[in-house]
Amino acid sequence: MTDLVVQGLSKSFGSNQVLKALDLTVPSRQFVTLLGPSGCGKTTLLRMIAGLEKATAGEIRFGDRRVDMLPPGERNIAMVFQSYALYPTMDVARNIGYGLEVRGTPKPERTEKIGAVAKVLEIAHLLLRKPKQLSGGQRQRVALGRAMARRPDIFLMDEPLSNLDAKLRATMRGELRRFHLDLGTTTVYVTHDQLEAMTMSDLVVVMNEGVVQQIGTPEEVYGKPANLFVAGFIGTPPMNLIPAKVVDGVVTVAGAPLPVPLPPGAPAELILGVRPQDVTMAAPGDAGAVPGKVWMVELIGSERLIEVEIAPKLRVTAEVRASHRAAMDDLVAIRPDPAHIHLFDPATGLAIRA
Amino acid sequence: MRPWIAAILYAVLGAITFVVCFPLLWAISTSLKPKDEIFRWPPTIWPENVTFDAYRELLFGGSVASAPGAGVPPSAYFLTWFGNSIIVSIGSTIISITVATLAAYSLTRFRFWGQRSVPYIAILGYMVPSVIFVFPMFLTMVSLELTDTLFSLILGYVCITLPFCLWLMWAFFRGVPIEIEEAALVDGATRLQVFRQIVLPVALPGIIAASIFSLIVSWNDYLFGRVFMNSMENLPLTVGVMHFFDGTHVDWALMMASSVLMTLPMAILFGFMQRHLVAGFGAGAVKG
Repeated sequence: MTDLVVQGLSKSFGSNQVLKALDLTVPSRQFVTLLGPSGCGKTTLLRMIAGLEKATAGEIRFGDRRVDMLPPGERNIAMVFQSYALYPTMDVARNIGYGLEVRGTPKPERTEKIGAVAKVLEIAHLLLRKPKQLSGGQRQRVALGRAMARRPDIFLMDEPLSNLDAKLRATMRGELRRFHLDLGTTTVYVTHDQLEAMTMSDLVVVMNEGVVQQIGTPEEVYGKPANLFVAGFIGTPPMNLIPAKVVDGVVTVAGAPLPVPLPPGAPAELILGVRPQDVTMAAPGDAGAVPGKVWMVELIGSERLIEVEIAPKLRVTAEVRASHRAAMDDLVAIRPDPAHIHLFDPATGLAIRA
Repeated sequence: MRPWIAAILYAVLGAITFVVCFPLLWAISTSLKPKDEIFRWPPTIWPENVTFDAYRELLFGGSVASAPGAGVPPSAYFLTWFGNSIIVSIGSTIISITVATLAAYSLTRFRFWGQRSVPYIAILGYMVPSVIFVFPMFLTMVSLELTDTLFSLILGYVCITLPFCLWLMWAFFRGVPIEIEEAALVDGATRLQVFRQIVLPVALPGIIAASIFSLIVSWNDYLFGRVFMNSMENLPLTVGVMHFFDGTHVDWALMMASSVLMTLPMAILFGFMQRHLVAGFGAGAVKG
């Protein structure tokens, strides 16, 4: 079992720096997700761990072994690609066993390992087929099988579920998690889908513009976002980020005082973050509520999203039960739950904690 | 489709097919006629008396080796010319395909100066009529003392087939996703193993298409053979058969039998490889 350590890793393509002195430690046996918007450098980081990109600076270690100078084949990693990247001219069995074949594993042993993997993945009946004869889900399993057959030190997965339909994706999420628990192999998983990150990971690494924004469990990155980027990126619908002022030691939003506990040393101007799920509707004039006008109402199944304009161009979304009735232009008030309010320093973007 | 439209379509297609196939059918027919029937008027479409004399003379009428020197009938050289054509066609194809495949692979996979412009310059070179550079090339061959050798023909054919083969393979490799090579590298394969075991099998339809193109061009060439070669025993088939026409008299039976025999290898090859040819050209045309 191997832990993965990345130290001061940088990568530039010409003048474009995509990774900036990145540090990351992935403990052994953990399932770690690199999460971030397109172009944040997560795939580049994964490809550098795989050895498919050379680092501009920094080092990568698997346990005690420094690997960043080694070619991909000598790192003992396995990678699942977004496009699956199955070898089109080889049948499923040879696809799964190719890594063993080039490493000189004797044929009987190879056949046995291919059979074992195929059985676990329930693709034993497909072993003689070519990739083009398989469905998307089956290809996905073969790609996984290829990764599993070699018993690598580390699994790397680059958005492996993004080409599947929604239903199959949900099934495969569960299966991938199950395989990880069974195999116990350190796994680095790249996705831009926060649902995947939240449901599958032991640790989530939120990245933006080549910099790690926060590393934490799914609960931590959701419940205690380290900065404005994480706060705005994690969660659907996204967190409300509202400018607030401290007047006589009391936090006020659009002139309305709110009972928010203020950490010592907080600046006079703040950004107040509250998730739509933590906002309730109130009547105008209620204490601890901010009055406003309903700007938009959207039904999203069992919930209803109500967007309330509390100041010109400043809107706050509340997620309430679908049974709650509201009409456009109604005069209402919103009440953020003081226990679930996050405060950020607008100058640094960092969370302010007590 | 309405029946009368179909009928017109078939009639038009049938007429075109007849026009295209008639020369070959006429060649086969003439090659099987005795000499007196060839010039009979009105001509017979199919020989009344079928004879294989022309074929017998070409294939079994003795060789240059058995009767060297002047006075040897041109038909005695037929098998030598046939062999020469096979050697130069296969030789130039092997060189063209090897160079084109490796060059196209590096053009699509490695970053270097001129990477984007090389394929376009190559195809531009292919568009220049070969008659324009045949004489400069002849002079080069003279200075290299290579004229009248099969090797000079091989080099000439490489010059005219390589640009298109390169273009075709380049278009083909662009459609091969790089991820499958990366997957093989991660699996532990060396660069050479990746090329041999992953890339080449995927590129096979393209290689076959380019090979057929190169074989046909060099097999059918007349110009280079006419300019570069002069000894009877070194001529390629296309130039050699012109000796059945001696200025005053044409041996039509031998000429036509040679044409039929000359068409056979390419026709057989084409028949076997047609599927790959279509796949190869298709892959070059549509990306992905």
